[in-house]
Amino acid sequence: MAGLAASFGSGAMTNAMGELETTDAIFIIGSNTATTHPLVATRIFRAIEKGAKLIVADPRKNQIAGFADLYIRHKPGTDVALLNGMMKVIMEKGLADEKFIAQNTEEFDAFKQGIDNFTVEEASEICSVSVKDIEALAKMYGEADRASIVYCMGITQHTNGVNNVKSLANLSMLTGNIGKIGTGVNPLRGQNNVQGACDMGGLPNVYTGYQPVTLGAANKKFAQAWGVDQLPTNIGLTIPEMFAGIENDEVKALWVMGENPVVSDPDADHVKKVLKKVELLIVQDIFLTPTAKLADVVLPGVSFAEKDGTFANTERRVMRVRKAIDPVGDSRQDWEIIQEISNRFGFEMNYDSPEDIFNEIASLTPSYGGISYERLEGVGLQWPCPTREHPGTPFLHKDGKFTRGKGLFHAITYNPPAEVIDDEYPFWMTTGRVYAHYHTGTMTRNSKSLDFEIPEGFLEINPVDAQNLDICDGHQIKMASRRGEIVTKIMITDRVDPGVVFMPFHFEETNVNKLTNPAYDPIAKIPELKVCAVKLEKA
Amino acid sequence: MIDIVRQKISKLLSDGSVKGVVALAMANGHVAPCLFQKEDDLEPLCLGDTKKPGDARYPLNKVLITIARQYPEDVFGVLVRGCDERGLYVLYRLNQLEPDKVMTIGIACPQELAKACECKKPYPDELVAGEKTEGITQQGVQDMEDMDLSKRFSFWKNQFSKCVKCYGCRDICPMCFCRECSLECEDIISKGELPVDIPVFHLTRAMHMTDRCIDCGLCDETCPSGIPLRLLYKKTSKIMNAEFGFTSGINKNEQSPLNLMGPAPEK
Repeated sequence: MAGLAASFGSGAMTNAMGELETTDAIFIIGSNTATTHPLVATRIFRAIEKGAKLIVADPRKNQIAGFADLYIRHKPGTDVALLNGMMKVIMEKGLADEKFIAQNTEEFDAFKQGIDNFTVEEASEICSVSVKDIEALAKMYGEADRASIVYCMGITQHTNGVNNVKSLANLSMLTGNIGKIGTGVNPLRGQNNVQGACDMGGLPNVYTGYQPVTLGAANKKFAQAWGVDQLPTNIGLTIPEMFAGIENDEVKALWVMGENPVVSDPDADHVKKVLKKVELLIVQDIFLTPTAKLADVVLPGVSFAEKDGTFANTERRVMRVRKAIDPVGDSRQDWEIIQEISNRFGFEMNYDSPEDIFNEIASLTPSYGGISYERLEGVGLQWPCPTREHPGTPFLHKDGKFTRGKGLFHAITYNPPAEVIDDEYPFWMTTGRVYAHYHTGTMTRNSKSLDFEIPEGFLEINPVDAQNLDICDGHQIKMASRRGEIVTKIMITDRVDPGVVFMPFHFEETNVNKLTNPAYDPIAKIPELKVCAVKLEKA
Repeated sequence: MIDIVRQKISKLLSDGSVKGVVALAMANGHVAPCLFQKEDDLEPLCLGDTKKPGDARYPLNKVLITIARQYPEDVFGVLVRGCDERGLYVLYRLNQLEPDKVMTIGIACPQELAKACECKKPYPDELVAGEKTEGITQQGVQDMEDMDLSKRFSFWKNQFSKCVKCYGCRDICPMCFCRECSLECEDIISKGELPVDIPVFHLTRAMHMTDRCIDCGLCDETCPSGIPLRLLYKKTSKIMNAEFGFTSGINKNEQSPLNLMGPAPEK
């Protein structure tokens, strides 16, 4: 999100999901779309039927790659090189939209210089993709009248995550594929309401609607609304910084809401150690997760079926969710838990409903300003929606008028992942999801039918590697990185290249995040979950 | 049309001939199934038309089965289109509902919807509201059969490859009521990988549809991957018709040729 915010001024999916049906070319990179976002994939399948070209770039040949006109299997962590190579070809073949660049963007020259100093051959070498394929990729995207980019965690969960995103933003601006229907740079958000959580300021540096805490005006506005003299202007901590803070005795208490870092965060053994160390650990969740088991206090929150309120989905659409059943057992509405605790700390909160809170959000958040419960009947509204009369915004940056003014090109050079393979750890390892489970399985592994589909973790490995290791399908293997080791069953498949292995991260018993690298992107502080070096041996 | 339907439901509720009526309600800008129990609570009643006629349909019979299992002694009303009524006939035959415990409120589909569905009989036998329109001659299966065999093969292979095994086709199907499902039997269908077993997963379901599918098309509407399931089941229905002269749901007291042994029953 930080990458898109820097390039365009707004860190969200630029276009609406339905617009994917109207495009001429779709470039998916780092997204297992058919499996993890089936309703986005529906639109992509429809687009293919209407004649749109599909290009997929991913180290693992996922389901939707089977439908691609061109599938590129680059090495994990080489996205910047691939994209720069692609843009080199676009510029050489005269496929750049010079008018769009001149009118609507800035810093193009610095960007161009970076590309001039790079060759397609270098890209080919780094990514292990042929020059011919990079050229075909560039032409298919660059020659399309309208082209859309779709990406997900395969792009962001890297030490170069922000640079990867900025490169995609460069690509869209270079070809003028932004600010028009059926184009754009479209990050698919993982959770139903992760967009909403970010919109609500669930980040260390902003209030709602991405109003910086460091900005005097926003600060003053919120202080006034909440009846206090002043609010802190310093930026808070990200997750890696919180963990470091616990280790240095600077952070004494941690309140975890709806997260399961013991399974989801890199270097899981270390995460566990840190959570055991913190003086007070409070976990608010709907099930007793492995993280909740470490807690001093567990606060039972409510599931989607027990709550009223709004969700904001991946295309910035704010929608109502309505309570279907009363909270089960001792659980309480999450907002009530927060309100109660605030009241006991001495800061009075007296909201009487989610709608009451929503009205405050609308009054303090320009992009939500025109949204009310009344207007959310039916399909909801896409922000920005600043006024009561505003119809909402299906796609951002219309006519090249970027949220930040002009679109900003960034000169990005390729840097390898923080950890690369060597003699001791000779395999690239990447992680992801499978169709039957979601994230750490807190919900899906409690479902009988989903647990039936896939009850345990497995490692995908190429037949060549399996043969070299003398191991059969379904057998156990020991996999270790510099941080930890696990024993898991294997699945032999040519979805992955020789030298690359893939493992889903849903399973606590075979927790692949014991192995992943906590090194993080310097700007977004997102860890490099998608690539690390491992060694394998027969268990 | 809705006024006639509302009057009919109101009458059934007020004279006590039904305990409740399963129909559709419009609430918060969405259409959803609803059990109406009081004659003065019929305000949200709707027929499932949002942008186009009948574009928000639900398997109301499926809802009815759930309710009927809970209240086996009571009579319930249900809103039916032609396809839903065909579904009831099949469900009577398969002992999932009892005819004397169900009262239908039948509505006819407009030509536009009948065309979109390629529906052979876009109206129920017992019609309460709407005008009967002509059945549509089915063309989809023929078009598919006219396709070159290798093209047809790759078409279906491609379609089945899109499946994400969400079971939406089964879960929305008003004819799927089994407590145990073959699609979840490991001896038939392997689990844990996508795409699902091609073509076993989809053909197993198609086989189970042969004497059940009433061609309502909810499977097509619900499939997130846009697999033309209905076309597949139309083909199995066509075979049943060619071989046995049987079309599921056309006669109230039908018998399935798959349940009979010996000479064909007299027509």
